[in-house]
Amino acid sequence: MNKRYVMVHDENKCIGCQACNIACRSENNVPEGVTRLQVRVEGPFGEAPHLHYKYNRVSCQQCENAPCVEVCPTGAAYIGDDGLVTIDDDKCIGCMYCIAACPYKVRFINPVTKAADKCNFCKDTRLARGEQPACVTACPTDALYFGDANDSESEVTNLINTKVTYQEKTHLGTKPRIYRIPTKRGGIES
Amino acid sequence: MIELNRRHFLKGAAASGATCALASVIPGSIAAFEREPLQGVSSEVASICEMCSTRCPIKARIVDGKNVFITGNKEAKSFGGKVCARGGAGHSLLYDPQRIVNPLKRVGERGDGKWEEISWDDAYKEIATKMNQIKQQFGAETIAFSSKSGSLSGHIFHLAEAFGSPNTFTHASTCPGSYVVAAKAIFGTKMKRDLSNSKYIINFGHNLYEGINMSETRGMMQAQMDKGAKLVVFEPRFSIVADKADEWHAIRPGTDVSVALALCHVLIYDNLYDKAFIEKFVVGFDEFAAEVKQYTPEWAETISDVSASAIRRIAHEYASHAPHAVVDFGHRATFTPEEFDMRRALYAANILIGNIERKGGLYMGKKAPGYNKFAGENIAPVLAKPGVKGMPKPSAIRIDQVEKQYAMMWSSGGIYQTILDATLEAKPYQLKAWVMSRTNPMQTLTDRAKVEQAIKALDLVVSCDLYISETAAYADYILPESTYLERDEEIQDKSGKNPAYYVRQRVVETIGNTRPSWQIFKELGQELGLEKFYPWENMQTLQLMQVNRDHSLLENIKKVGYVSYGKPLMLREPEMVSEFAQAYSNARALDDDGTYATAMHFKTPSGKIELTSQKIEDMAPGRGVIKHRNVQLKQADELYFIQGKVAVHTNGATHNVPMLANLMSDNPIWIHPLTAGRLDIHSGDAIQLISSVGREEGTALVTPGIRQDTVFAYMGFGSKNKEMVRATGKGIHCGNLLPNVIAPICGMNLHTTGVKLVKI
Amino acid sequence: MNNIWGDMAQYDPVTWNWVIAVYLFMAGLSAGSILIGIGMRWYSKEGNKESPILKASAIIGPVAISLGLACLVFDLTKPFHFWLILVNYNFTSVMAIGVAALLAYTPLGIAYALIVLRDDLPKWKLGFLSPIGQLLLPFRQVIEVLLFILAIGVGAYTGFLISAMNAYPLLNTAILPALFLASGLSAGAAGNLIVALTCFNSSAGDDDVTKLHGLDLPVIVTEIMFLVMLFSSLYFTGGAAAESLASLSQDIWASVFWYGVVGIGFAIPILSMFLPSSTRHTKAMMITVACCSLTGVLALRHFIIYAGQSYIS
Repeated sequence: MNKRYVMVHDENKCIGCQACNIACRSENNVPEGVTRLQVRVEGPFGEAPHLHYKYNRVSCQQCENAPCVEVCPTGAAYIGDDGLVTIDDDKCIGCMYCIAACPYKVRFINPVTKAADKCNFCKDTRLARGEQPACVTACPTDALYFGDANDSESEVTNLINTKVTYQEKTHLGTKPRIYRIPTKRGGIES
Repeated sequence: MIELNRRHFLKGAAASGATCALASVIPGSIAAFEREPLQGVSSEVASICEMCSTRCPIKARIVDGKNVFITGNKEAKSFGGKVCARGGAGHSLLYDPQRIVNPLKRVGERGDGKWEEISWDDAYKEIATKMNQIKQQFGAETIAFSSKSGSLSGHIFHLAEAFGSPNTFTHASTCPGSYVVAAKAIFGTKMKRDLSNSKYIINFGHNLYEGINMSETRGMMQAQMDKGAKLVVFEPRFSIVADKADEWHAIRPGTDVSVALALCHVLIYDNLYDKAFIEKFVVGFDEFAAEVKQYTPEWAETISDVSASAIRRIAHEYASHAPHAVVDFGHRATFTPEEFDMRRALYAANILIGNIERKGGLYMGKKAPGYNKFAGENIAPVLAKPGVKGMPKPSAIRIDQVEKQYAMMWSSGGIYQTILDATLEAKPYQLKAWVMSRTNPMQTLTDRAKVEQAIKALDLVVSCDLYISETAAYADYILPESTYLERDEEIQDKSGKNPAYYVRQRVVETIGNTRPSWQIFKELGQELGLEKFYPWENMQTLQLMQVNRDHSLLENIKKVGYVSYGKPLMLREPEMVSEFAQAYSNARALDDDGTYATAMHFKTPSGKIELTSQKIEDMAPGRGVIKHRNVQLKQADELYFIQGKVAVHTNGATHNVPMLANLMSDNPIWIHPLTAGRLDIHSGDAIQLISSVGREEGTALVTPGIRQDTVFAYMGFGSKNKEMVRATGKGIHCGNLLPNVIAPICGMNLHTTGVKLVKI
Repeated sequence: MNNIWGDMAQYDPVTWNWVIAVYLFMAGLSAGSILIGIGMRWYSKEGNKESPILKASAIIGPVAISLGLACLVFDLTKPFHFWLILVNYNFTSVMAIGVAALLAYTPLGIAYALIVLRDDLPKWKLGFLSPIGQLLLPFRQVIEVLLFILAIGVGAYTGFLISAMNAYPLLNTAILPALFLASGLSAGAAGNLIVALTCFNSSAGDDDVTKLHGLDLPVIVTEIMFLVMLFSSLYFTGGAAAESLASLSQDIWASVFWYGVVGIGFAIPILSMFLPSSTRHTKAMMITVACCSLTGVLALRHFIIYAGQSYIS
């Protein structure tokens, strides 16, 4: 069976410390001035003393129905054999259609390669070596989980089946593959 | 026309233009050197991080000759193989073009920012000549030596001792000093907290989720998430730890001691405390109980704004989980001048439920000698402490050795602030010079204007640092140290519930002309004519001395990076003790209750836990009993000004590190919507804070996550020297607003004060 | 909470800028001009005589699209790799479809220009091209039909391209291609008029100029109708779509819309119809009104691009 890589972000454990941000940048040589991954601590929401923050991970959602792949004129944005939304730098001309089309606004032009870039679950760096993505490895509070959702024994399958999770902008039909476990307080804005 | 992230391009061009312009103007920086790919020493090296004082064990790997990918060392279980954002950004510091890699000498006035490169030999000669001159004319004691306590601080203090000066200081009095001194007063030794096994955690502003201490942060998160622990946080601001708490109480700044004492009151007078434990192991309970009788929750409510019913309920809940519950004694202990009794009150709340040496409570570190005794065999190797015989004894007293009440601080880091009075007012005698390493008092001491004045008044200032920090900017000589990724060091003791050691090793070849500080102070010592106090050759010699020439042990520690020995042991936890006794056939015999409780050894005068201390009473009459004293932290028409730590920076140290500066370079000030509304302030507005000692301009952040009578800023920002290019002028400088204070008994600085808020 | 996660500038939802707006204008102008030129020729059954309007459209057609494409190429972040898009096609992308269409449209437009202007070329020192025009003359009918169909495609495809992005509620509407086509006709008519009057000595009283002039009002009315449909559908969808209606009342783009698109682009041409015929039909007035139309179309493209990208679903 093909792999269906998903990532689960537990917003209860996430403390917004940016260890993932830095690890991603280090492992994948992301140039200064752009970022593949940020965790935004939004809020506080609510009324004191019942306040809460939202720990919003902003990175490529690896949509199964990716708008960026659909709109890329040269096919530089494509779905690889591993099911991951990938970018072929050599075919990219920098028309920025994919950047405009992404509803999550997580694609950017890499100032060094001048091609589009985004989080790719460390596909050519750590996944290629059989390791977990840099952010998952780095997270101090173990708030990130990564694995194959087609594998019924995997941790991510268990989490998705047993915990309440939500996803961003599902109404657009993108079928994102990042699941979020909401914090124990407050409403969920998707 | 090529539209290429125009914003980024322009920003990048401007920024690199500015940094290029300045970096090429700053002599001695990496920018002067050609960039070569980093030379790693091996594919993956185990070492120790130094981006903050937690010093997590790390594994480092070179990626494409450009970056160093740093993660934790999985051998250290409680650290989980993790590092935080600062740890991961270590390589950004390593190859920062603005880092200084050649010694510099001041040209022009102090603080002018004019420098010329100088060779190490010349630097040593000039500094040594001046130091010996001062020694001859005024006495060795007129030179102060300061360093944040760390893996190499021993070397600068060794130099001080060899030189003959008693005036050595760590940063203790600006941060953790009082909880250490309080622990020593009560237990005779420092205590550790077992958060990961705690079922109920009471936390007074110890923000482990922003001021990350990896093993404690992970421990507390695991306790909360996996073990269902309840966390109660008392803090004036809605910080990340307040967000993760089950209950957050917006306590009035500086009133934590009232709540702590009220908790103790409830524990005692509602009969929730562990009588047997108190009888067997504690002295001074009766005096404490008598004092605490008046500290009712209702009384505490009027002072702290925490409701009496909440205090009562929390005390009952806490006791119901005894002994696997803990009151966290905190870390940065500078909330009020009455820190000593505040921290003692927190320890008292732990003692009352008898959680000492129990899972989830407080415990003492089990170092190799003591552990081996329990086990009846040498489970863990004992490291030798290389020492030098015949060190001179200084004839003069320390400058903070005047009042007897501070006796406990003389050997616990000293009172850093006394350097200022000794320089400016010759009290108790005139200081002439200051040699410092890895410390930034312009940021971390308070009353910045006074610090600047003091530095300018000295005859000689030498700074060993990585950058031209805000303090180094005023030095006469800057001796650039190698970063932690370029250094080998002595083996460190990281014992917790069982003995453990780890070692720092170089990950990359030295960049530029830097040297590790142990070498700097050795060579300076030799230039000063103190060769006989440096009988050891180099770091390898020292390491071999530590392991008693056991090469295989040394190789193993270096290979694995972090080694631990034996089973974890907590003396009063029956399960752990029985497992321990079963594992070691020659282990100490168990007590009747199946524990090692009688083996608990407190280095106090009575040998027991001293809830009330005669020793302190002798040092400072009236202070033996833990007592609540009113403090006034601000005027009626002012707002409380408090600060805290953030996850992506370390105190006053990392603000110029490129990756971290890119994450956060400004500290907008938290203001409650009602407070802001009264002054027509909105988020992003320019505002000014005015205190009794200074004024600062910054930006407003209007948020409900702060009390109405309080404003908050993350500390470490607002550097005022131009060489800190990424940090200069951004945000407010907290030290410039805080007054210079020396708290009773513990000599602590003060980080709460009153400010007026003005819209610009 | 303070920003501790770094710069958010790269997350600015406005990705495409004024260069793209200019391209959209050029594409619409080119397509509209061709549609009107060829359409009027078929309507009037002129035979071999080339009307000034047709000649104008023969110039504007290929020139405008070439300028537009040049803009596009220079806006790429890897401009020297633009040839990759001519070689690699992913036909789920409207942009790839557009490239294919333009690959046919542009040369055909140039060919048609050579046919139509075969007698005027020597006047502009391009006489050596006339023989090619003569050569292509027998294929005129075929070229005209193909060009006409492709022009509809070119006029509409930019609308499809932008409306394909479901991230932007203001753009993700069915009406956008129709709006662009109508707007393109408006621009094409105005462009043809200006070039015919200035370069080919048409006079205001000419038959085809009058007919062209008569197109103004219906096209404007159609555009207004499409805009009303667009905004009301946003309103009734609610949620993020309705929020994007704020673009009509906030910031600079509201001004661009009301002053540029409606004021200059619609109101002035409509109001000019109330002027007495003597003023209205002078060359100067006609050119002025045509320029206002063009400005309106340019303003509309800018509004769509900027305001459209500012509101995310």
